[in-house]
Order: sequence, then structure tokens, then C-alpha cells
Amino acid sequence: MAMDEIVDGLSEVSCDVLVIGGGTAGPMAALKAKMKNPKANVVLLEKANVKRSGAISMGMDGLNNAVIPGYATPEQYTKEITIANDGIVDQKAVYKYAQSCYGIIEELDSFGIRFLKNENGDYAVKKVHHIGTYVLPMPNGETVKKALYRQLRRARILISNRYMATRLLKSSDGRIAGAVSVNTRTAEMLVIKAKAVILCMGAAGRLGLPTSGYMFGTYENAANSGDGYAMAYHAGAALANLECFQINPLIKDYNGPACAYVAGPFGAYTANNEDRRFIECDYWSGQMMLEFYNELLSGKGPVFLQLKHLHDKTIEEIEHTLHKVERPTRGLFQEGRGVDYRKESIEMHISEIGFCSGHSASGVFVDDNARTTVPGLYAAGDMASVPHNYMLGAFTNGSFAGLDAMEFADNHDFGAIDAGEIALERERVMAPTKREDGIPPNQIEYKTRRLVNDYLQPPKVTRKYELGMRRLAEVREDMQERMIARNAHELLRALEVQSIMDCADMAAHASLFREESRWGLYHWRTDFPEKDNENWFCHTLLSKQDGRMTSEKRAVQPYVVPIADDEKDLYDKQRIRASA
Amino acid sequence: MPLATYQTSVPVVVDDAKCIADKGCTVCVDVCPLDVLRISDMTGKAFMAYDECWYCMPCEADCPTGAVTVNIPYLLR
Amino acid sequence: MSSPFESYDDLDDADERLGAADPAERRVAIIALGHSGDPAAVAHLAKMVADPDAGVRQQVAMALGEFDGPEAAEALVQLLVDPERIVAAAAADSLAEFKDPASADAILPLVKHAHAFVRTGALRALKELRRRDTLKPALEALQDPDAAVRVQAIGVIGFLKLEESIPALTALIGDPDAHVRRAAVSALAFSHMKIAAETITRALADSDWMVREMAAETLGLNANGAVAADPLMACLADEFWQVRLKAIRSLGRMKIVQAVRPIGHCITHEQANLRKEAAAALGEIAAPDGEPFLALVANDLDPDVRKNARWALHQIAASKARAGS
Repeated sequence: MAMDEIVDGLSEVSCDVLVIGGGTAGPMAALKAKMKNPKANVVLLEKANVKRSGAISMGMDGLNNAVIPGYATPEQYTKEITIANDGIVDQKAVYKYAQSCYGIIEELDSFGIRFLKNENGDYAVKKVHHIGTYVLPMPNGETVKKALYRQLRRARILISNRYMATRLLKSSDGRIAGAVSVNTRTAEMLVIKAKAVILCMGAAGRLGLPTSGYMFGTYENAANSGDGYAMAYHAGAALANLECFQINPLIKDYNGPACAYVAGPFGAYTANNEDRRFIECDYWSGQMMLEFYNELLSGKGPVFLQLKHLHDKTIEEIEHTLHKVERPTRGLFQEGRGVDYRKESIEMHISEIGFCSGHSASGVFVDDNARTTVPGLYAAGDMASVPHNYMLGAFTNGSFAGLDAMEFADNHDFGAIDAGEIALERERVMAPTKREDGIPPNQIEYKTRRLVNDYLQPPKVTRKYELGMRRLAEVREDMQERMIARNAHELLRALEVQSIMDCADMAAHASLFREESRWGLYHWRTDFPEKDNENWFCHTLLSKQDGRMTSEKRAVQPYVVPIADDEKDLYDKQRIRASA
Repeated sequence: MPLATYQTSVPVVVDDAKCIADKGCTVCVDVCPLDVLRISDMTGKAFMAYDECWYCMPCEADCPTGAVTVNIPYLLR
Repeated sequence: MSSPFESYDDLDDADERLGAADPAERRVAIIALGHSGDPAAVAHLAKMVADPDAGVRQQVAMALGEFDGPEAAEALVQLLVDPERIVAAAAADSLAEFKDPASADAILPLVKHAHAFVRTGALRALKELRRRDTLKPALEALQDPDAAVRVQAIGVIGFLKLEESIPALTALIGDPDAHVRRAAVSALAFSHMKIAAETITRALADSDWMVREMAAETLGLNANGAVAADPLMACLADEFWQVRLKAIRSLGRMKIVQAVRPIGHCITHEQANLRKEAAAALGEIAAPDGEPFLALVANDLDPDVRKNARWALHQIAASKARAGS
């Protein structure tokens, strides 16, 4: 058989709980579901291979939001996250995370995942932010995936690698009923009937185009093409605050994290060309990114991660982590450029735009049990709306999702699936393989993402957005009518670009709906440059209603942890410029 | 509209002398998040079939014989 | 179409391939056994620890790391004493991931092995197992001629957090190796015994700056750290700003009121990290005589210094208000 040759086929399986995405949140959700009901069937579906998929494919260099007794309190953390997100937070979910995450750290530790400990075996928590102490380094965190995979095998989770989910299925009563997927190497289709479904499909990281022009040189794992957002949208689930983009500081051209959370505890910092700190904002936020952006464009750019003031031995320790965990090719990249951290600072830049609640606040709308607005459908990790998740949030919220989804499955029977719906989906998925001639997926993708950069990247200008949406619609037409996939691998890319296109449309639509500026650079609208608390102190929910993209306001739920008036503007107050 | 192929230098390099894909090993092909590696019908060895690399390293780190080298894609270098 | 799921019953197939003549084929089978997650795979893997091919043995050492418990530990112990370093190193890494205390039985005898690498690996593995009967052999290992062994032994002892180990740990303050002294200082953090705090204090005068830095930091975590207030203040003149920084942090954390002036004098240091920490510490102590020092950095060129100074002034004002009411 020729490589990736297309096989026409369709089969069907069923399970109690289907988890889609085997990166970080997914394995934890699957494990917890199975632990809750060991007799139930739990399927973990993954587009790549669970062994090495997702944002933490090569491990993680630290926890950025660990709420560990003695160092931080759930109340303090909840306040900080609320302030970092300009108040637009349903605190219940954040607070629940903050109360539970220490238990999850202990559980991960028992899996064999290695956190930094002192000689008494206590977690060596570090302070990076001005207010709270939340950073737990993982200099030997390269084995996270290995340890997770081991647990999945022990629990006998049904693992299905190299299947890409394409659409969710619902029964006529609106409840979730399963998903359609396609094998990425044979194009065979698999329908999975399920009583509950958990989406853990990661960020929309292939939305903007990296400045290098290399399509897969993205900040996020390039496999994270936003499929979860697109699937949730088409299933009628609400998505929250998508206008709150994620943009990250990174190593220029390499396009991976620098990473200030690793080097910060050792005394390294982000500096301008005068070798001085310039970031006024404290916790990672859109405001911080705006300051970064402004500095880059000012005469004080470029921006650097500064290490050269540190002792050689300290730099050695930092290198050990940076070059071994999370993005280990950082060392190779610097070596190629001849950069020695002892003599030269690391040039930084900002990333392309994406959706990701990892360090931002947008995503499929979920409550504190990870429930979406569709009964029986859950979401966790970078694609769900709980803000500032990072890796530990994915694990913790994934665990909430697994437990609640199994309870849902225990109390419901399978939803009825309309065979006609499956036939239509099969036709849609396979369409690019039925054409003799056309435009290959990589060209459609490049053009889509180039338009995202040209028209949607902040600062957001209404006139540019209108033009961008017109151009994107033209490309969408090409994508639907003319895209061609000559083998199963190209079909994978062809399906991904459809997710990317949906995300681009949602990014544009959500951004135009919120007529104010908020979250610093993430939603800076030049036509509405001010924050407007009177009209826009609310979430925005985007959803598909009667086949059309629709946005509406949703009130922020009453705070669980009250924030005093003088604390609300804490970050604004901190931004006091030196008068000299 | 006719299609053309174009040249690209791929970042992942496999040392055929060390690769044991012909003995049944599929580790690098299994672990690649972007699914860009394949085993050649002609040589029985692994190779990079698609230039869609996130230079993330599992293929190199997990290769049992040290046959795989990940380079930074030229456009980023 | 074949099953869309990973298989859970391929052990026999892999076991058969373990007998292949070609070492590469044996490796492939070992990888499969490791990934199986099935505890029954351990017995199959254990058969391979004496394979003639070092690459195969290395693969076995890695695969056994996927399991935990006495049976896997016994097999790994045989690989830890392998003459080939790549095999022994893989075995040491795998053992370090074990959590089941019962694994310690197999590992304990190696603490007295002839090779330092083996002794180091064995102690490193015992640390996380936290078994009380590892204390005695670990205490003995503190006399080991090899510094790496002594460092790992300190870890085993420190993780157990037993006051009875304090005399042995304090004796290490005179160890010729700086890594050992640094680890010992860190391991003393938990102790409520006075001698522990006194020993850490002595380390503030160590010849190695990283030991001094660790001592300055650890005093802030120790229950009796405040007895070292004066020596910590003396550290604010250390030639390494890194040591001064940790001393400032500890003095702040312990709210040592007499430290306001010496910390205040650091607030104009050229190193921004130190100025930042000084401002924060003055806020933690929250004594009114910190105010004039904080005024010096109100317009510091570093935003983090300004931020901390502002926060510190706020803390002092709040403390004054509390005193007034």
C-alpha cells in the first residue's frame, strides 16, 4: 500500500465516557472517570499519540500557578487571577481549582512526576510575582508524559491514537451522543457513541502565522489547530470571551517560551536595550503584553531576557532546565546562533495570536464542574474558559471533568444518533479526497493565517476587521469548494485548516462584538480605546444559533472572594512611571 | 489548476546505519505529534516525509539507538 | 478495519521476540513490554538483565522504570551494578522514579557496593521511599570517601526529618566538599533543635558563596532562625550580592526590626534584584524607620523596585494605623 493511501471505510464503537485529546487534561480526565467507575468503558481519542502529544510533549519546566499551603491561599490566588483578568472571571471555578490543585500535585508526585524539592523533601516553591508565591520548578520535568501514559495503561483506558475527531453528535433532545472521527493515516472513519464526552483538545495555536513564516514554528504545539473550539461551536456550545486572545513573550524566531518562570527565581528578568526592567504589570496578563509590545516598538526595543548579571554557576542551572525540558531544542537554537547567556542576552519577541486559556481567559464556556452549555459535554485544559490554567489547571480541571462526566454517564443512557447526520459528516470530511484537482491544504492554511496576521492581530481596527472578514470568506469558499487532499495525511491537514478557519471567524466576530478595550494588548480596539465597565463588565458568549454565529453578553457571577475597591485597580496603581 | 512539488530541506535527519525500523521499531513514527515521519518502503528506515516540524524532540529523545537528529528548521535558524 | 484501540494482550507475542537472535529485535520487544503497563511484563523483562548486548540491557533498564515495587527493583538492582555505564545510568534513573517503600529491600544492600556510582544511585532511589530503616545505612554513608555519595545520603536523611539525625548532619559543616556542606545546610531546615540553627549560622561564614547563600536562605525557613539575626545582618556586607539578597529575604520574612537600617543601606545597590528585595523586606518588617530608605527608590529606574517600595510604604502606613487605633 502506498504511503497514507486513502481507505474508504466507516465503523462504530461505543463507550461510557469519551475523552477527546490525550495531552494534559485528557489523560487526567480519563483516569479520574475510570477510577470513579472501574467497570465503565473510557475511551481516550488522540490525533497524535498519547505518549507524546499536546503542549507538554517534552514535559514541563515548572508549575506557574501552584497554590501550596504555607506559600499561598486559595483566596489570595483567586483575587490575583480576578485582577489579572480585569475582573471578568466567574470565581467559583478558579476558587475550586485553587482549593484542589495541591491534592493534584501530590497525586502527580505519586505518579513519579518530579517536582523540585529541598533536602527535606518539601516542595521548593519560588516567588516570581510581586504578590503571591506560586512557582514550583520542575528541572527534571521531562518525564511527565511517560508517567501519565503509565497510569493510563495501568487503568486499562481504551487508547485510540491517530484518530482526529471532526464533529460531535447530539441526540434530538440536545444531549451529547458521541463524536465522528477519522484515522489520520488511512482516512477510515470511526463513529464513537458515548454517554458523555470531554473535550481536552488544547489551544488554537495555529491561528496566527509566526514571523519566521514557517507554518509549524508556532508557540503552541502545532498539532493544536483549534479543533476543539470548532467542534464545540458546531455542536452549539457557547464559547466565552474569544476576543481575549493569547499572545506570549518568546525567544525571537525560535518562537518558544524564554522562559521567565524558569529563569525568574534565579534572578533573571526581561529587560530593554538599556538592560533595564520595563514591565510595570505584575502577574502575567494582557496588560503585561501591552507593555512588552510598546517597548518593542519604542526606541528601547529589542527586548531581552537578561541573564548575564548572574553567576556562571547559576546560568548553568538555568541552562540545564531550559535545554532539557518543555522545549529542549532551545539549546540547539542558541548554539546555532552562537549565543552564550553569560555574555549576551536572549532576544525576545511576542508570539502570533491564538486562543488559549493557559495564560489567558477565553475558551469553551464551562462552569466549576467543567460542564459546557451542552448537556453531557465537558471541556478542560487550554480550550476551556477557566482563566490562567497552565499545566496544573489542565490536570485539575480535567480531573473535575472526568468525575462529573462519569456521574453523568452513570445516570444516562446513550442518546439516539441520526444516521443521516453521520452520512453528511462523512461527505464533508471526505470531500477534499474526491476532487481530481484543486488547491492543497497548505496553501489555504498559509493564506488564512497570513490574513489573520494582517487583519486580526491587535491593535484591532474595525475597518481592518471588516476587510479581513471579507477576505477570509473568499478563502473559506476556496476551502469548501476547491481544496484537494491526495492522501490521508493531507486530509488531516485539510481538516485542521477548517478548524483554523472557524477559529479565525470566531476571533473576528467576538472582537467586533465587544465595543471597548480590555485585557491590555489582547483586546485593544483603537476605535474603542477605553475600558467601559458600565456596558462591558461582562462575559461575551459566542455560539451558533440557527446556523449563524451569534454573540451575547453574560453577567459575571457574584464573587466568592470579595475584592476591595482599592485592590481592583492594583495593577493600574502599580504602573507608576518614574518621574525622573 | 495543476500542482507542482517544491524543494525543502527537512529538519529531522535519520542515520540509516543506526536506525532499526527494519527490525520492527516504530518509536519515532509513533511519537511524532505532527505525524511527519514514515518508514521507507525502499530502505526500511525512518525518514521525514513531511516538512511540518515543531522541533519538539520526542523522535530524537525516544529513539532507542540514537539514530534521529532534530535540527532547527532553516527558516527559524 | 482492525481495532482502533491500543492492545492490552500482546505480552506473549513480545515475550517470544525476546529470544530473537538480532539484538535490535530484542530491543523492539522490550520497548513493547515497557509500554504495556501490565505488571506481568516485569517477569519477562527481568529475564533479560544478563543479555549479552549492552544496548538491550539499557533498554531493559529503561523499560523497568515503567513499573514500581520490589520485583522491578530487584531486576533494576542487577542493572545498576552493570559494568557498562549507559546501563547503570539508565537503571539509576529508573529507580529514582520508584515510590513503593517495599522496593527499598532490594536497593539497601547496594548502599555498601564497591563502586561509588552504584552507592550514589542506590541512595538517590531510597530518598523518595522514606523508610525509617534506611536512616542507619544513610548515616553510615555520610563517612563515604565520595562526595556524591555523601550528598545523596544527606537527602535520604533529610527526607526522613528525624531530630535524631541532627548531630550527624551538623558534623558535615566541616566537610571538605562544598556541595556536601550546601546539602547539609538545606537538610537542617526542618529541625527545631537549637544546634541546627547554630550550625546553619556558622555556615554563613563558609568559604563558598553558594553555601553561604543556602545558609542565609535556610535561616528564614528554620524555626529558630531568628537567633541568627546579627550574623544575617553581618551578611549584608557579603562580597556576593546573591548572599546579601537571601539574607535580606530571611530578615524580612522573620520581621527583624533591628535589620531596617542595614537593609536600608542596601537599597541603593547597583544590582536591581537586591534593591527590589530590600524594598520588599522593609515592607515585611513594616517599621516606620524604613520610610526614609524607601523614599530613596521612589523614582528608581527599575519598575519592580518602585513597585516593592510602594507596597512597603503601604505596609508601614497600615502598621502605623493599627498601632494608633
